[in-house]
Amino acid sequence: MTTRPAAGDPVRVLLRSHRALCERAVDPLEIAAGLEASGVTDRTAARCRHRDVFSLAEEMYARAPHPEAHAGPFTETYAGPVPHAPAGPPAGPPAGSPAGPRAPGDTRRSTGAMGAEWSSYRGAPLVLPLLPALLCAGTLAWLVLFGGSHAAVWATLCAVGAAVVLGSVIVAVRLVPRVPPAVGTAGFPTGLFLCACWLTGYALYGDRLLEGQLGGGPESLGGPGFPSPGIPSPGVAFGLSLAVAPAVWCARGFALAARRRLAGSRSLEEFASGVRPLLALAVCAVAVSLPALQWAAHALVGGPLGLFGADGAPAGGADPLAGWQSAAAGAAACGMLLFAALLLTAHGFRHAAFAGLASACALEALALLSVPAARLPGLAVLGRPVELLVAHHSATALPVAACGCAALVLLAYAATVLAGASAHHREAVPA
Amino acid sequence: MRIALLTEGGYPYVRGESALWCDRLLRGLDGHEFAVFALSRSARQEETGWCELPPGVTLVRTAPLWGPGPGTQGARGLAGGAYGRREKRRFREHFAALAEAVCANHADADPRTGPLERTGSPGTPGPDAGDRSDRPRRSDRTDRPAGGLSAPAVGGAQGAHGPLGAHGEGRAPADGQADRFAAGLYGLAELAAERGGLATALRSESAVRILESACRAPGALPAAHAAQVPDLLAVTERLERALRPLSLDWYGQRGEEPGLSAADLCHAVGAGPAALPGLLAKRAFGVPLLITEYGVRLREHYLTSAVGAVARGVAGAPVRALLASFQRRLAREAYEQAELITPGNSHARRWQVRCGADSARLRTVYPGMDAAPFDAVGEQVTDLPPADGARPAGAPTLVWVGTSSPAKDLGTLLHAFARVREAVPTARLRIVETAGPGGPDGTYLAHCRALAERLFPPGARKAERPVTFEEVGTPAVPTPADAYALGGVVVLSSVVEGFPVSLVEAMFCGRATVSTDVGAALEVVGGTGLLVPPRDPRALAEACADLLRDPARAARLGAAARARALELFTVRQNVESFRGIYLELISRHRVGREDTVCEDPAGEDAGRPFARPAEAHLPGRWASGTGNGSTGSTTSSAASSVVCGVTAHAVSGAEGLRTGSRSGGRPGGTKVAGGSLAHVPSWASAERAAPEETAARRLPAERPVGQRAATDERPVAEWAAVGAEPGEATAP
Repeated sequence: MTTRPAAGDPVRVLLRSHRALCERAVDPLEIAAGLEASGVTDRTAARCRHRDVFSLAEEMYARAPHPEAHAGPFTETYAGPVPHAPAGPPAGPPAGSPAGPRAPGDTRRSTGAMGAEWSSYRGAPLVLPLLPALLCAGTLAWLVLFGGSHAAVWATLCAVGAAVVLGSVIVAVRLVPRVPPAVGTAGFPTGLFLCACWLTGYALYGDRLLEGQLGGGPESLGGPGFPSPGIPSPGVAFGLSLAVAPAVWCARGFALAARRRLAGSRSLEEFASGVRPLLALAVCAVAVSLPALQWAAHALVGGPLGLFGADGAPAGGADPLAGWQSAAAGAAACGMLLFAALLLTAHGFRHAAFAGLASACALEALALLSVPAARLPGLAVLGRPVELLVAHHSATALPVAACGCAALVLLAYAATVLAGASAHHREAVPA
Repeated sequence: MRIALLTEGGYPYVRGESALWCDRLLRGLDGHEFAVFALSRSARQEETGWCELPPGVTLVRTAPLWGPGPGTQGARGLAGGAYGRREKRRFREHFAALAEAVCANHADADPRTGPLERTGSPGTPGPDAGDRSDRPRRSDRTDRPAGGLSAPAVGGAQGAHGPLGAHGEGRAPADGQADRFAAGLYGLAELAAERGGLATALRSESAVRILESACRAPGALPAAHAAQVPDLLAVTERLERALRPLSLDWYGQRGEEPGLSAADLCHAVGAGPAALPGLLAKRAFGVPLLITEYGVRLREHYLTSAVGAVARGVAGAPVRALLASFQRRLAREAYEQAELITPGNSHARRWQVRCGADSARLRTVYPGMDAAPFDAVGEQVTDLPPADGARPAGAPTLVWVGTSSPAKDLGTLLHAFARVREAVPTARLRIVETAGPGGPDGTYLAHCRALAERLFPPGARKAERPVTFEEVGTPAVPTPADAYALGGVVVLSSVVEGFPVSLVEAMFCGRATVSTDVGAALEVVGGTGLLVPPRDPRALAEACADLLRDPARAARLGAAARARALELFTVRQNVESFRGIYLELISRHRVGREDTVCEDPAGEDAGRPFARPAEAHLPGRWASGTGNGSTGSTTSSAASSVVCGVTAHAVSGAEGLRTGSRSGGRPGGTKVAGGSLAHVPSWASAERAAPEETAARRLPAERPVGQRAATDERPVAEWAAVGAEPGEATAP
């Protein structure tokens, strides 16, 4: 075979036999490596009038067409060379890898068997976010049935219900694809969780606590008013649990749509300009749904169920829908803040989310503490801002202000940060 | 001596590359103190565990180049990481330099390798040309704008008066990008050493943005122009992994254990990421860097990258182009900074020269193999007097030993054997498969069996089949040595070959060889066997028939082959070569390195051996510097045998030292060259040889220039060919 006449252009013969290699190559050295691996030596190169394989590879690189490198602006990058690939070198380990880190990093590792099992169903993303609302409604129903008998039963039911609802919220929130699993898998976000619990707790109890303090003093905490009423505003709790569903749907939809957009965009600006409307859409959807769900929850709790009418526990007393606007405003602000934190956490900005939640918590806690602190001699100034706020508006103004400000800051940050491509990046290339 | 062994996907792991070679090296050089710094490539590799460590290893540090990086866990804060405004600016600046160099087109860099290759090619340069071509490179290196660690201020002045010779202008554009790469790399390293958090910054949005603008810049690679957003993200992610060594705590900068700063020598296995810690240690502490490559890391990168392109959607062309460019820049920088580079064969050597290595600092060190299993067979043959008659064993027999694969081209062998049978009717061919159970599936072997059946139809007497297929491990052929003992001539018909292990084994067994001229076969066989072109049955048949018909000649060739193999390819030769290289490198470096750390990391270190003897130094320095038995004894013996002119040189100060060292030239390959050319045991006692030679080298004026240059150039001619792993199969 060495005697085969190199008729005319021996390089063309080589080009034809190594066509896939040459088209795929990104560098003359890659062609050189491939040629050597297929048995081309310096002697072959000498037959092509080249000093060595390297200069032969350079000529082949220069002569071979490179469809990818000179591709037009809107050609698909990956599809081009693959069909020409020879069957020779086995694909080996990288073939199965891209899907590998995705599944375990995303859902399974955190919530254990339950999460993995549930999220394997196709309908899970649609159904699971409704679970908290369902469980909350169930808890309320149990409270109606057995709540009146004994305080201990009340407390037990409340605790169990709260735990179950919180667990289901965690499961639902896991459905949001967390974008860089390598970055975000630092374990359960305990700080975030505690902050969210505090904010929710304040949305339920805080207003009454503040009013009580402003009116009576700290002894009213343990006084006759406290143990009996159970859930002060069942509508708020139910509304918040209902709001989990649109929040999860929106966050999930945003993440998936942004990732789809990522695959097709050519420049960072193009991607950012495509993602910002998506983000705005998601935020608007949540912002609209939060008050609507609050209203629906209050209507449902106060109207058909007639909950707690006999107990006389709610602040409004006779009219269940009387104070709903004020309570719902605080809850909606809290929900908005939590949604912003959810978005940021899912995309790897956990510290930012924690900072936002923690500052809101701190504001609320400071406001609560400032009232008893103002009673100390000489420190009356401390209580003035809160008193003024409550006097001019109502006790609900405090969480609205704290959560609203924090939510605005977080959303503004998210608007800049989530428009970046790195926030939507998964580990695309296997090791 | 304290030697830091830097590996990537290598030594302490059982299934690492070059693990066998590293293990033999560490066990062989028991006088030294080793610290192993290993980067692992995958979780699978880490699960395999470590080799049993030899007693000379005092420290093993490992770090992963995969998975989530150090400190990236949820570290993206409101402020985008731990960096303040100034750190962010620094990061942007350095990463932009790096990205620009990586994205830049290599086309302008290629003319540079031309002149370098020419100076490296045998015979062309005169004695002075070698020196002159050396000088501008050195000055280029020192006047590089140092954007990073402890910038040497002397660089500019030296570069100004440095003689920019014939290559200066041709190299200018290429060096511009190389400088930007180095400046960016060391700048990032400095930032990582001071503030940490490099991984977070590399994954941040600003890194992606910088990379995008570098890709869209005018002189960028065509493939980079086509990069889309996912490509950019993938590249930053891979860069973050590749640059992880920058933020490791291996350097002893943070008040922990001394780490690399305490090493006397960094020995990197491969010029890829493994050399990165060595580069930083050289930059920051002036630790000399030695690079050993049996398989060129860059070439492996290209091959795996080509495989990755086949697997659908794994990496697009822009990603592969940018990563290859990064690896190339990194390899070039590593070659440039290394004091000495030891390719395993001339194939690796050619690649290294192509990638920018200076051929004056290349020194081929052949891989060593264990000759003991073959001694029994080999000595039996050499004892046998090459008498007139035929071999008593009976039928003249050809043996092929190896792992069957299409690259071995057994078809050609069978066709050739059909012609051999025409010339020597009694000839037999025995094909011995060594793969064992873990080897390839038997489809190719079955194909070969079918071909053999067709070419040599079974006759009436079944016992005398001309072609038989056997396997090592069966009762007939228990060990590979027995396989070679089956016949008088060993044949190799491969089309592709790296470092042909089976040829070396056959030589150990004292068998004459007929092999195709592929890979490193030429330099392995030398004159002790016949070489034929690949894919040429007729030439192969003629060579085999010649040897089969003349057993006396075959026996003489076999004895010569055994002598050659014992001289060149034993473990002992390999280990002793490295022992000598270590001593040589350390002798060229100041022992009291501590006081010169920040002054001149690149310029004066290439001084002459033992340039600062004990007389020129405070005694306290010596004690603090060496601290180890072997180095101390060697240096003191050298100092005692040294002529007093040396002291005068050393006392005359830094300027005298520099000029003297340049005219003296780099020691090149004199020591190994003499040994391998004359076939005398060159490394019988390195401890004695080193002081004598260095003493001889000490007087450059007294030696005729031409003679020295001749000894420098001849090894280049001698080692003109290829290589693979000592332990692995022979395909490259």
